[in-house]
Amino acid sequence: MYKYDHIDQTLVDQRVAQFRDQVARRLDGSLAEEEFRPLRLQNGLYHQRHAYMLRVAIPYGLFNSNQLRAMALIAKKYDRGYGHFTTRQNIQYNWVTLEDTPDILAELAKVEMHAIQTSGNCIRNITSDAFAGVAGDEYVDPRPICELLRQWSTLHPEFAHLPRKFKFAINGAKEDRTILLCHDVGIELKKNTNGELIADIYAGGGMGRTPILGSLIKTGLPWQLLPSYLTALLRVYNRFGRRDNLYKARIKILVKALSPEEFARQVEGEWLFNKDSDVNFTQAEWDRVAKHFTKPAYLSLAKLSDQQVINTASEAERASFARWLERNVKPHQVPGYASVILSLKPHGSVAPGDATTAQMLAIADLADQYSFGELRATHEQNLVLADVEQSKLHELWQEAKKQKVALPNIGLLTDIIACPGGDFCSLANAKSLPIAKAIQERFDDLDYLFDLGDISLNISGCINSCGHHHVGNIGVLGVDKDGEEWYQITLGGEQGNDAAIGKVIGPSFYADEIPDVITNVINTYVNHRNEDESFIDAYRRIGVAPFKEAAYKNAKKKEKAEIAGDAS
Amino acid sequence: MSQANLSNSTEIAAHDQILHFPKGGKPNLAPNEWLIWNGSQDEGGLPDLEHGKQNVLVPFAWWAQHYQESDIQSKTKAGHIGVWFAADDDILKHAELIEEGKKIWPLVAAHFPIFRDGRSFSTAALLRDRFQWTGEVRAIGDVLIDQLLQGARVGFDSFALRPDQKTDVALKQFDLFSVTTQNSWRDKRATLSKLSV
Ligand code: HEM
Ligand code: SF4
Repeated sequence: MYKYDHIDQTLVDQRVAQFRDQVARRLDGSLAEEEFRPLRLQNGLYHQRHAYMLRVAIPYGLFNSNQLRAMALIAKKYDRGYGHFTTRQNIQYNWVTLEDTPDILAELAKVEMHAIQTSGNCIRNITSDAFAGVAGDEYVDPRPICELLRQWSTLHPEFAHLPRKFKFAINGAKEDRTILLCHDVGIELKKNTNGELIADIYAGGGMGRTPILGSLIKTGLPWQLLPSYLTALLRVYNRFGRRDNLYKARIKILVKALSPEEFARQVEGEWLFNKDSDVNFTQAEWDRVAKHFTKPAYLSLAKLSDQQVINTASEAERASFARWLERNVKPHQVPGYASVILSLKPHGSVAPGDATTAQMLAIADLADQYSFGELRATHEQNLVLADVEQSKLHELWQEAKKQKVALPNIGLLTDIIACPGGDFCSLANAKSLPIAKAIQERFDDLDYLFDLGDISLNISGCINSCGHHHVGNIGVLGVDKDGEEWYQITLGGEQGNDAAIGKVIGPSFYADEIPDVITNVINTYVNHRNEDESFIDAYRRIGVAPFKEAAYKNAKKKEKAEIAGDAS
Repeated sequence: MSQANLSNSTEIAAHDQILHFPKGGKPNLAPNEWLIWNGSQDEGGLPDLEHGKQNVLVPFAWWAQHYQESDIQSKTKAGHIGVWFAADDDILKHAELIEEGKKIWPLVAAHFPIFRDGRSFSTAALLRDRFQWTGEVRAIGDVLIDQLLQGARVGFDSFALRPDQKTDVALKQFDLFSVTTQNSWRDKRATLSKLSV
């Protein structure tokens, strides 16, 4: 795990001082709210429905137990005893005050953390594969590049006021676990035939109001040249991205308007002038950073078979332990080890992704005891202990159960991604959390969930898509009709290598109809599926029609929706 | 812009003092000797340079149309005329004029129509990197205290602050950070030179 040197530490400490001064000027009135707004956003501070919300950066989702303890104690001291892990691998606090924020940032700085660029129209926190460095299907460990780019983008002066926010994701594995194509820039790392590290660049993806998958605009870029190429790319966007209309300001609109080919050509033209300059990364920089991402002190262990692992549990426990192994434990590069996903989606939870102070403290201890003191946050809003000895899985499972983070629902229907929606977010059109809860209550039977297999269900409280509803196999989107909360359903979305944007099936529903609608959609899948066929595969085979018919089966309710004048 | 123009409407308002921060030097204040003309035609062309300030920054687009006029040429020769780039001026499309201008403009500026419009950061970066402009580059328009640091790093070395901004607070902005993690016009990234630390 990366460790700050004195440069990183100095920068973060000085940033705290800078923000403290800005807050003081805001409080004494010499800085107007309108002018303070972009400054506080670049420090992750939003003004929300009830209070200020602070989003703290977890660069590429990687953190250690000490940092988690600090996050836990901040939740206790400055918030209401919990934090919320987000779809961008960050953590948010919903109840902070402006006055306390500089102190919170100072406490974070003590554990090498900050809130820089977690919001605002700048380069946001870079996200990556939560299984970086351990995934069985990885061909390049993306973390040194993530870290180099984190440094490069931190307080980048030229790109401090872009037309809109700008999100990078970086992947280096066969399977894409980063939703690479839904980012402003997706960087896919590979090795060329000479074994050199290169990158393919995708640009212009994003969700929100106009969901678009990114286009491939550059292949085979040597890793050293990333800063010059990305400078050129961002410079084209900064100069020509639309600033007249907030909804058309993302890079995806520019790439679409110009065409990916023309956009790539313009970037290339700009790049010619700086591609040989010393903005590029050096081998020495790589060496300095990469040494933090060497493998931990793995023991040389024998690889255990699934059955051997199951047998470490008592007979009475085996069935439920096996379930957890199947859903929450992932293969590892190193024999005798596995990666464990702790579910932050217990059924009936307040909000997907929430963790209390007590849970965070306990999970920090688990990380120390079972996983070299390291953790990762996933974009599905769960936590990962990446390096667990197979022989200790059973012990860990029992500990995790005590903390209510052992539900074996990873990748299943109740592993719901949901944004905070109307309960917290001032942009929301509708609530998301009660919908998530109602769905979890309806589908509380683990046997049934297991039988259904992989299905993603994602909920956003408004079209901004923080809850990634566009890429859920089932997406639920809160919409507002004449001041009432309605929910629109999309089907067929998918993340990963076959990423797809879901399609709206028709008029929206009332909140209390949603569990029935989901049930009808699921039943349709169950009735039509071939053996071992996943939801998304069945959907692709039979098309939307039978699902749609089932969703609107209740004619009376359909009528209601049509009266409200909602069109698809 | 939240502040109305304080003087006459053909000017872009600025503090009466200019904040200079020369590369390698210290930030300091000096009287503003330049009028920033917005190009409006209601006064019949250039503003009056006989009374008050004698130097004027004209919009680049206006320059492109009028630079061949003899009055403009003689005022330029005398060092009284510089240009400012609007946020949406595509300076790369006018490379020749700018190359010529390098010999005759004492000053160029880039305009911030609103503080959160960052296009002029890229304009300044292009002037320094691409055009190798070595003279003064001034930030004008909605220039606020909290933008100074970014401006200084991309290539601005003088700032016409919005009139309501406090110059004492402004002067302190440049000392806030002693390290950087990316190159800028002023300095290489700290991480490059101090690799061993
Ligand atoms: C609570 C206050 C929040 C506010 C005010 C907020 C604001 C926004 C806005 C305005 C967008 C618009 C995207 C666009 O179309 O350009 C957006 C998208 C997004 N936000 Fe949030 N958000 C909030 C919470 C969250 C949370 C809790 C998460 C993660 C759980 C999150 C992660 C994202 C993501 C991943 C997108 C995706 C859209 C894309 O990539 O284009 N945000 N948010
Ligand atoms: S999707 Fe909308 S409601 Fe949900 S967090 Fe984002 S902005 Fe708020």
